[in-house]
Amino acid sequence: MNRKKDKGFESPRPFKLTHQVVCINNINFQKRSVIGFVELTIFPTVVNLNRIKLNSKQSRIYRVRVNELEAPFLYNDPTLEVCHHESKQRNLNYFSSAYTAAVSAVDPDAGHGELVIKVPSELWKQGDDLKVLKVYIEFSLDQPKGGLHFVVPDVEGSMAERAAHVFSFGYQNSTRFWFPCVDSYSELCTWKLEFTVDASMVAVSGGDLVETVYTHDMRKKTFHYVLPIPTAAPNISLAVGPFEVLVDPYMHEVTHFCLPQLLPLLKHSMSYLHEIFEFYEEILTCRYPYACFKTVFVDEAYVQVSTYASMSIFSTNLLHSATIIDQTPQTRRCLAQALAQQFFGCFISRMSWADEWVLKGISGYIYGLYLKKTFGVNEYRHWIKEELDKIVDYELKMGGVLLHPTFSGGKDKDNPTPHLHFSIKHPHTLSWEYYKMFQCKAHLVMRLIENRISMEFMLQVFNKLLSLASTASSQKYQSQMWSQMLLSTHAFLKSISNVSGKDIGPLIKQWVDQSAVVKFFGSFAFNRKRNVLELEIRQEYSSPGTQKYVGPIKVTVQELDGSFNHTLQIEENSLKHDIPCHSKSRRNKKKKIPLMNGEEVDMDLSAMDADSPLLWIRIDPDMSILRKVEFGQADFMWQYQLRYERDVVAQEESISALEKFPTPASRLALTDILEQEQCFYKVRMEACFCLAQIANAMANTWQGPPAMKSLFTRMFCCKSCPNIVKTNNFSNFQSYFLQKTMPVAMALLRDVQNLCPKDVLNFILDLIKYNDNRKNKFSDNYYRADLIRALTNSLTPVISISNEVRTVDNLNGDVRLILEEITRFLNMEKLLPSFRNTITVSCLRVIRQLQKNGHIPSDASLFKSYAEYGHFVDVRVAAVEALVDYTTVERSSAELQWLLSMVQDDPSHYIRHEILGLLCKNPPFTKTADSALCNEALVDQLWKLMNSGTAHDWRLRCDAVNLYYTLFGLTRPSCLPLPELGLVLNLKEKKAVLNPTIKPELGGAGAGGVDTPASIGIHGVDEDPDPVSLGVCGVGQPPQGLKRKADTPLGSPPEPGQVLQQQEDDGRGARFKIRFNTMEDEDIDMETVHDSQAFIHHHLNLLERPSTPGKEPPLVEQAMLSMLSTPATPAPSFSKEPSSLSSKHGSEHGHHHHHHHHEHKKKKKKHKHKHKHKHKHEGKDKDKDRDRERDNSHAYSNSPASGRSLRSPSLSD
Amino acid sequence: MADPAVTSGGALSAGGRGSGSKAASSPAENYFLSRRRTLQVVVSALLTESGFDSAEKAAVETLTEMIQSFLTETGRCAKAYCEHTARSVPTLSDAVISLVEMGFNADTLPAYAKRSQRMVITAPPVTNPPVTPKALSAGQKRTHPPYIPSHFPEFPDPHTYIKTPTFREPVSDYQVVREKAASQRRDVERALTRFMAKTGETQSLFKDDVSAFPLIAARPSSIPYLGALLPSELELQTLEETDSSEQDDQTDGETAAGNAIADDPGADKENPLLAPGGAVPSVKASEDVIDNPYLRPVKKPKVRRKK
Repeated sequence: MNRKKDKGFESPRPFKLTHQVVCINNINFQKRSVIGFVELTIFPTVVNLNRIKLNSKQSRIYRVRVNELEAPFLYNDPTLEVCHHESKQRNLNYFSSAYTAAVSAVDPDAGHGELVIKVPSELWKQGDDLKVLKVYIEFSLDQPKGGLHFVVPDVEGSMAERAAHVFSFGYQNSTRFWFPCVDSYSELCTWKLEFTVDASMVAVSGGDLVETVYTHDMRKKTFHYVLPIPTAAPNISLAVGPFEVLVDPYMHEVTHFCLPQLLPLLKHSMSYLHEIFEFYEEILTCRYPYACFKTVFVDEAYVQVSTYASMSIFSTNLLHSATIIDQTPQTRRCLAQALAQQFFGCFISRMSWADEWVLKGISGYIYGLYLKKTFGVNEYRHWIKEELDKIVDYELKMGGVLLHPTFSGGKDKDNPTPHLHFSIKHPHTLSWEYYKMFQCKAHLVMRLIENRISMEFMLQVFNKLLSLASTASSQKYQSQMWSQMLLSTHAFLKSISNVSGKDIGPLIKQWVDQSAVVKFFGSFAFNRKRNVLELEIRQEYSSPGTQKYVGPIKVTVQELDGSFNHTLQIEENSLKHDIPCHSKSRRNKKKKIPLMNGEEVDMDLSAMDADSPLLWIRIDPDMSILRKVEFGQADFMWQYQLRYERDVVAQEESISALEKFPTPASRLALTDILEQEQCFYKVRMEACFCLAQIANAMANTWQGPPAMKSLFTRMFCCKSCPNIVKTNNFSNFQSYFLQKTMPVAMALLRDVQNLCPKDVLNFILDLIKYNDNRKNKFSDNYYRADLIRALTNSLTPVISISNEVRTVDNLNGDVRLILEEITRFLNMEKLLPSFRNTITVSCLRVIRQLQKNGHIPSDASLFKSYAEYGHFVDVRVAAVEALVDYTTVERSSAELQWLLSMVQDDPSHYIRHEILGLLCKNPPFTKTADSALCNEALVDQLWKLMNSGTAHDWRLRCDAVNLYYTLFGLTRPSCLPLPELGLVLNLKEKKAVLNPTIKPELGGAGAGGVDTPASIGIHGVDEDPDPVSLGVCGVGQPPQGLKRKADTPLGSPPEPGQVLQQQEDDGRGARFKIRFNTMEDEDIDMETVHDSQAFIHHHLNLLERPSTPGKEPPLVEQAMLSMLSTPATPAPSFSKEPSSLSSKHGSEHGHHHHHHHHEHKKKKKKHKHKHKHKHKHEGKDKDKDRDRERDNSHAYSNSPASGRSLRSPSLSD
Repeated sequence: MADPAVTSGGALSAGGRGSGSKAASSPAENYFLSRRRTLQVVVSALLTESGFDSAEKAAVETLTEMIQSFLTETGRCAKAYCEHTARSVPTLSDAVISLVEMGFNADTLPAYAKRSQRMVITAPPVTNPPVTPKALSAGQKRTHPPYIPSHFPEFPDPHTYIKTPTFREPVSDYQVVREKAASQRRDVERALTRFMAKTGETQSLFKDDVSAFPLIAARPSSIPYLGALLPSELELQTLEETDSSEQDDQTDGETAAGNAIADDPGADKENPLLAPGGAVPSVKASEDVIDNPYLRPVKKPKVRRKK
């Protein structure tokens, strides 16, 4: 959506929702089902509101009433199966565009929905008095696959005793999965929520708990919630379970819930939540907007943190006891994130998907402020650097991340991100990784804005936005005011300019409207005569993910006489910048050197270049550009920078630069940093790894004991017996983290034979042996896990003379020792499990590493047993990771199948997501490499997975798309046999053309694609086009279909395309999309409209409900379904369009094919030129073999396909 | 009392005297053996007196046993009577009462003793009664203090009432202690896990030798998070211990210096340690004033109109 010049919000719907009642009467844990109803109060904003579109997925709808009148309705969910199941299309471009189209077709932000309710004519004929409509929908959910997650442990006892619970989840707006609603962030209304649950359970939901009432039989109770603050449906949530209740001791309006037995952990973990509250309320100078806040900790959570109006659902694994060190900051971060999103994201909602970045940015930004306050400036800067590195790496690898996409009319020419294999038009088509990076970039950009306008103004803007919203929210009866609670990019920028008076236009243009980051290369020379530093800053902006930067850049130069900031202007052509130096190069005087922070230090200047006064130079030290800087300065400069620059970012930069300078001086600098207790512990931890690398590079000349050994001995071992580590005392966290890290880094050391030195291994084994935690008040589970990790790192590939089988007898002595330890650790873990089973996780990793390096026989069965449902989630993930690695290394199709079956069946959504994610990270093969695993069956399986198998989970579907992309790329997978119809004959033009399926079009085939080759849209215009009747229309011509079936070779008829087409009707609000396909017209409607309808009708019939528009045809349809489940019934020339238009189009179509055949090299350009209907061909395959195949395929030139496409009605423009 | 098995065995195997004495080696055994031989001679003499020409070994043995028991019991009984009357040496009357008590007609005894055909048996060879070996010669045996009459029993051996002066230098060497603690713990753990592995299902890393590194089989649990999140009882126990005895008493003496907790997670760690202590009581104290909807009692159903 464009940044509108008018600030008002325009609803895409012909009505305004003001209030919604959700009542869930029954939750059955045994059957995993839910029954309830919703009632939406809406005000029509047009006269003659005849249709109401709502969102609903997977629920069974029993009846719909509008103002007490039974209303017919239609249920059609095109995302259930994106592409037709008969289709042999297997290229991702095609899928992506079809998927985007499917999501668009039900996009609530565009006013669409899966559920179309026909307002009874009695009501809309009443004329122009816009009166309230109450839409009442009864629904049920049976074993929902998405939206609600049931956790029912398989033990004895009642549901409460079994800790059975259910909670809502989803990625972005997914509320439609569990009740019918307008599933848009921009449609706000007030809520009344009622949940009747077993008396032993608690139902937690958004808003204020007004009362809890027993049912008449006293066996159940009803929780009544009221949410008076207008809230969007996606921000409504529910959690039901036998929760233990903890009222926050500091804030009585805050209530915490956890599963039975975890109360002590909850008490501890929540003991500092009030500080986060106080912090946010103070900086925003605004009270927490809701009257209460609830935190619920659930098992098998979808994500660690999900926030909803006045409540947050967390993973129960965030809870920890006071003895756990490592989890504490992580849990606090999660809480802080959740709370930040309460203000921006829940209370203030986004106006459209394009404005998402503002909310994610603000919440991420204030979360950053919390980090700075709680964990300190060092931690904050370290975090910013980490985030910056992450986004830069991602963008350079994958291409740009666009914060504020603008879509002008959905033409794919304007597809802003052609480099991606998915569309960024909808949150639901985004890859998860991309979305994470999107959030990361958003908060970094907010920080850039802060740099520009100052934090004070920034907070004023937030305060202004919040107070506007809270004023609007208190307007109980003026629902038009509620749009003030929606935040758009425009409103945000306007607010910034009002408050600060500064123009941040260029900044926004650079980072928000445009994707990509900046890549600088810097080098310098010192001109002694002029006493000038000649700095050269080059940019690379041609590679993907990079853009050109023009504007100011800060450079900090540390000279002998002090540190000086210079602001340079990066312009189009200027590369060189002259910076005058302040100090003469002289070192005779012993003088302290002033640093940036005013500190004066003594330095040993002997390493310096005698002619130059420069100690070090930093480009963009404040990270005020989203950039990657590769700066060339001498090793001694990096060393000075590491030792004396006080900024942790500079220290980290110099550490990573020093990796390239394996010299004794670097070694000394790193060792000094390691020992320096004032230095930030994360820098010291990084120094460990760098030191290991340097030591390896210097293996030949290394003097003395292995790196870090003496250091570790000095810091952590006993004075009297240096080989024994002190008994654990982790009360100093900095040394704790260092103690944990050093062995891990040391294990990376390699001697001249590229083996881990015996010394080091024995040292680590001793650490394990003498580890004694009895006197420690903290748990040592993370420390022990890291020691095992150190063992993992020490492993090197086995040197075997022959390909002998690994047996116990020929085991290497060191490996035997390692195995002894692991066996003991892993077995002890069964008896005394560690927190989050960290030790099991480490053991699994080391076992896999031993297998991979050939020390023990490679075997997947151990990992399989740990990957099974019923183990702790971290353990499962580690086991899956090992399995994925096994699959990749051993090319085992059995294990791959095992993993994929788990993706389909595992009860835990997170595990499914992780499996696909890990498979993407470590793919068994890629599109560039051949593999025996890559076969047609796998392609079909994955295609099925993303096409229909993952319809219940947006995130999972995008993961599947990612995996498909990683394995096969955008085009038709090479392992597939060529479609047999290589050529098609265009009867009208009397020309044979290459089948568009196999000759893909170059480029441009994008995500925004509404059309695909030979796709045909039927467009219902003025009349009420009844989708059912359209679907039925093909019935008349079965004979032709049979004929076609007969003369087409079975198996692989190419599918020129079948899409779901969305058409804009400029005249009325009525929009219809119909799935249409040149070859399988009837099936199309079956797939979409029909299936769901048939389902509903079936139920309606059973229930003897009043008729619906679809009621008449079901019998016919079902007959058709059975009859036409095979492909190929010819297209009906059915259209309500003027025939002239359609035939004109037809000729164009043929024309197009013509080009295809003769000039397919130029095809794209011509094509774009001539055909406004933008037919797309999938893929970019230029395979020569294909060309040959095409030439050989005249045999099929009499395919009916081309003939049909001639007659195909189409209306695209 | 001598071990009957040894004695009878000796007698049985002996038949002749010489071989029996060979078997018995220790002086104590010798002593008892010779007594018993004398008894056997006595029994044989009595049998001859009574007109037997020969007797089976088993019969002689049984009779020997009986006579030995009888004499022993008589002696024991007489001793008991004597001690009962606060004497230390039995008198004739003690012996007579004992015999009477055992149902023996003591009056017939003089006549029996004076019978004509009695055989004279040579006195048993003089053997020294076995010296009871001194258990422990620890310290000096104490004599009675002056206020205790000398007829009172002597003090028992000193080792029974004084602290044994045996004293080995305790291992105070830090290294050895740690070493020992470490290997002890490791041994216990290994033994325990081996035991668990042997008694239950296992998984193995090697196909050829499944017993080499037995891993206790992974068993899914129905509520996996409980085990993973809740600290084990052992941890709780040690936590309590360390709480009471504060962290500082590190054996090595020196604790990690410089608790300059700056801007890192260090800063935030302080709170959780303090908070639970402060938080929990405050809840309890103000419980009655908290107005939280989740703490309110559940209402009874009202008769409500159906919507």
